[in-house]
Amino acid sequence: MQESLETLREEILDRVAHCGSEPELDHLRVEYLGRKGRITLLLRGLREIPAEERPQAGEQLNRLRQLVEEQLEARLAELKAREKERILREERVDITLPGSRWERGQIHPLTLVMDEIIDVFLGMGFEIARGPDIEDDYHNFEALNMPKDHPARDMQDTFFVSQERVLRTHTSPVQIRVMESRKPPLQIIAPGAVYRHDDDATHSPMFHQVEGFMVDGHISFADLKGVLTHFIRRIFRAEIKVRFRPSFFPFTEPSAEIDIECMLCGGKGIPKDQQVCRVCRGSGWLEILGAGMIDPQVFRFVGYDPEKVSGFAFGMGVERIAMLKFGIEDIRLFFQNDIRFLRQFACL
Amino acid sequence: MKLTVHWLKEFVSFRGSPQKIAEALTMAGLEVESLVPLPAEGEGGNDWLIEISVTPNRGDCLGILGVAREIAALTGEHFNLPPTSPHAGDPTLKQVIDVKVMHPRLCPRYSARVVQSVRVAPSPSWMQSRLEACAIRSINNVVDVTNWVMLETGQPLHAFDLARLTSKRIVVRRAGAIKKFVTLDGIERQLAPEDLLICDGDAPTALAGIMGGEDSEVRTDTQSVLLESAHFDPLTIRRTAKRLGLHSEASHRFERGVDPEGTLYALDRAVFLLEKMAGGIPLKGVVDRRARQKGPKPILLRTEKVKGLLGIGLSPKETERILKSLGMKIQGRTKAGLKVMPPSFRRDLTREIDLIEELARLHSYDRIPSTLPLVQPGGGKVDAPLRWERKIRSFMVGEGLSEMVNLPFASSDMNRRFCGIWQGQRSPVAILNPLVQGDAEMRLSLIPGLAGNLGAHIAQKARGFRAFDLGKVFSLDPKGVPEERECLAGIIFGRRERKGLRVMEEPPLTLLDVKGLVEGILELAGVEQSTVWTIPDVPSCLHPGKAASLQFVDGSRMGYVGELHPNLCEELGLPSALIFELDIEGLVQYAPRQLTVRSLPRFPSVERDLSIVLEDGFPAQQIVSWIKEQFNHSLIEDVHVFDQYKGAPVPEGKKSLAYTISYRAKDRTLTDAEVNSLHRDLISRIGEVFGAQLRE
Repeated sequence: MQESLETLREEILDRVAHCGSEPELDHLRVEYLGRKGRITLLLRGLREIPAEERPQAGEQLNRLRQLVEEQLEARLAELKAREKERILREERVDITLPGSRWERGQIHPLTLVMDEIIDVFLGMGFEIARGPDIEDDYHNFEALNMPKDHPARDMQDTFFVSQERVLRTHTSPVQIRVMESRKPPLQIIAPGAVYRHDDDATHSPMFHQVEGFMVDGHISFADLKGVLTHFIRRIFRAEIKVRFRPSFFPFTEPSAEIDIECMLCGGKGIPKDQQVCRVCRGSGWLEILGAGMIDPQVFRFVGYDPEKVSGFAFGMGVERIAMLKFGIEDIRLFFQNDIRFLRQFACL
Repeated sequence: MKLTVHWLKEFVSFRGSPQKIAEALTMAGLEVESLVPLPAEGEGGNDWLIEISVTPNRGDCLGILGVAREIAALTGEHFNLPPTSPHAGDPTLKQVIDVKVMHPRLCPRYSARVVQSVRVAPSPSWMQSRLEACAIRSINNVVDVTNWVMLETGQPLHAFDLARLTSKRIVVRRAGAIKKFVTLDGIERQLAPEDLLICDGDAPTALAGIMGGEDSEVRTDTQSVLLESAHFDPLTIRRTAKRLGLHSEASHRFERGVDPEGTLYALDRAVFLLEKMAGGIPLKGVVDRRARQKGPKPILLRTEKVKGLLGIGLSPKETERILKSLGMKIQGRTKAGLKVMPPSFRRDLTREIDLIEELARLHSYDRIPSTLPLVQPGGGKVDAPLRWERKIRSFMVGEGLSEMVNLPFASSDMNRRFCGIWQGQRSPVAILNPLVQGDAEMRLSLIPGLAGNLGAHIAQKARGFRAFDLGKVFSLDPKGVPEERECLAGIIFGRRERKGLRVMEEPPLTLLDVKGLVEGILELAGVEQSTVWTIPDVPSCLHPGKAASLQFVDGSRMGYVGELHPNLCEELGLPSALIFELDIEGLVQYAPRQLTVRSLPRFPSVERDLSIVLEDGFPAQQIVSWIKEQFNHSLIEDVHVFDQYKGAPVPEGKKSLAYTISYRAKDRTLTDAEVNSLHRDLISRIGEVFGAQLRE
């Protein structure tokens, strides 16, 4: 009996371990544990065994039954898990197929650059102001110290709407409008469209500027340098070389133009191959901003006392900054609005 | 202003390469636009041509001597003037020529000398090539000398053939009744009464400060020359030159201010050169008519002001060094500062601030430190208009529309077709001097630009195009004053595209898709409840059956949506497209200022559909409004249309509309019986009111 039980146990364990499917497993269960199963029959046959051997044989048989039940359960769980895994494998999707989504639109690069500029100044505590595109002669020229017949008016070819009204040639009139209606301290930027009678690869009859100015009791040229250097480093990169050189604007004095080192030739101007750099035309520098201390005459026009306040003003072309940042050589690309051009800015 | 390095070196000695000089000039405010080597000339090595962009305030640098002075000031090198043939008192000149200035204010100084026995011939080649390098055409030795001296000194000169000045009497006067004059380029010029003329007695012989006349021009047979070196009122010269479109080297300089003390020097220099170049014999005498004018006043330069404005103090020594290097005289020293007299050739220096700029410039901007000013609180925040713009843009982009930035010019034809969001008939703003004759007006609407964008993309075989423009439109208000409005417009053509596998084709976009876009914007602005869609009064550019106007509840116009009128598409060569345009400024005005959040419902809602058959022309919204406003039951939370169906089995000329009604009580869960009874009641009332049949 001892021996035959041992053989039976081996046989069952071997068959369970090799069983490959659920029905087969059910079959085994019936064969051993069913109503007429072999272990069931053996248990029933205990009655015929001598009474003194019965307890031991009973215990052995019960242990075997328990073991078989456990093994069947374990095998069943294993088979189920394997089946699930097989199904999941079959459901696998080819991840090399393209993803599916609606086509997005694209914000215009000029807006993106304008927003970047605005955000740098907002971060410095500036506030936004706006003015009309169709401006009167007084705000566009006169109050900015450009009287009628002043040669400085030649610097800006003007579109006229009437004798007294023009399409603003710069965003500087917003300076006047703000100072006319408010008192210092002021730190303002004025973004917007401006117009010049000009049309070629680097000039568009309409383009965008951001004007800015700061007026308070003791604002100095050193402050102008500090604010604009900070701005340029935020917009381009922290280590970029910047230079301030004297210039002339009727509404600022001292006036400055601000250059950054050329992004293409790295400020070399004429690199090793002796080809003059086509972006900076050999100078190594690129003009990026016009600025200066607000002229006392401008303060008088808006009713400020130039003995009590001082301030600086600056202006920049948004297209120019965008062209330099992204290596765009023709300004007209911005206004052709070709989707293939716009889409390139999706990652910006 | 063009000049050569060799020429410059005749007046100021400097070491260092042409590149170094160019750099120094640029950093002193005389921006060098280009520096190019000139073809070899023989001795002295290669010369270089420098082109300087001279700002309008620096008339003194429109002469090489002015630039040389600037270099001397920058480098501390010695500056020397070229030789002259000095004038002297000589009464015989009076018998040769007399000068009368009628308007001393317009011609504060008129100097002249006479050179006899000149031999007019071509200039030597070195003179010709240098002039031509500086963009002056060589004419003959006499004319070339006047131009040469102008390039050197910045003082324009004019040479008259003395024999052809028949009256021997120069009169500087306004044109007055003289209507015409032929300039030496052979063009007859129409004069205005205020133009300033140089006359030979009564006959005009030059347009003062701009160009000489044909008659008194120096020719090969000229023997005696009258040299004019004068000073004219910049504004008078500028007005005449501008009106006649006649911009000359002379007018360019007079407009920017010439040194009033420089006329005689230039004259003597020219006489010196005429002796050498044309073998002329000068008369010693000089005519010098001069208006009595107030001399320049000294300027007080305060040390404190310099420090306050530049953010850096300059030592008294450095201050005086800079001022003196620029030719200024220190007339007095006080505790507060200096009394400074600028030189006559620096007409731009009249105020303290002008001197402060000179200090900063010569001290070098690079040596002024960078500081960050204390910013007053108040700014630093994205303001409402910018916040709206950003919100709208990101919504549009998410909906698949790309942003266009178009030039705001339009043809009158396009402005007639697309009148935009304006209320009532509006005239466009016209541009007096347009760049392109066809686009001589400011746009009334953003649509022409977008239609152009669509056209351009169709030409590239684009299958779909969805774009928007957020920008200004312009018109004249009833009083004729220009008005600007910030608008949002969009254009949609074709299907909305999906990226990825083509599972099924997207249905073509319809009027309801573009209406959905606009509803999205209204939702962003929180104004869905304060807007009304109307059918009358839609713009004529739209398909009459597929269009709507939008109004605020107070009746003011807000915009429109619709399909482009098929006739218009045909005329413009465009495919059928959907458009909308909204007055964003108006929209933002109506947007609620504050948001108060409602608590969420605690009990579930119950939904019931109803489907009814109505006349084809019946507006679906009417039932919604009626339920909300007339039926107005407290348990009805919401009503919306979810389907419209035409075709069998619905009879011809009718349509079936399906609505969902949401019922909800605030204080309990509604029972089926309660909702069913209410819903039945609603259906029967709709039947009565609209004569509609319930569809199974």
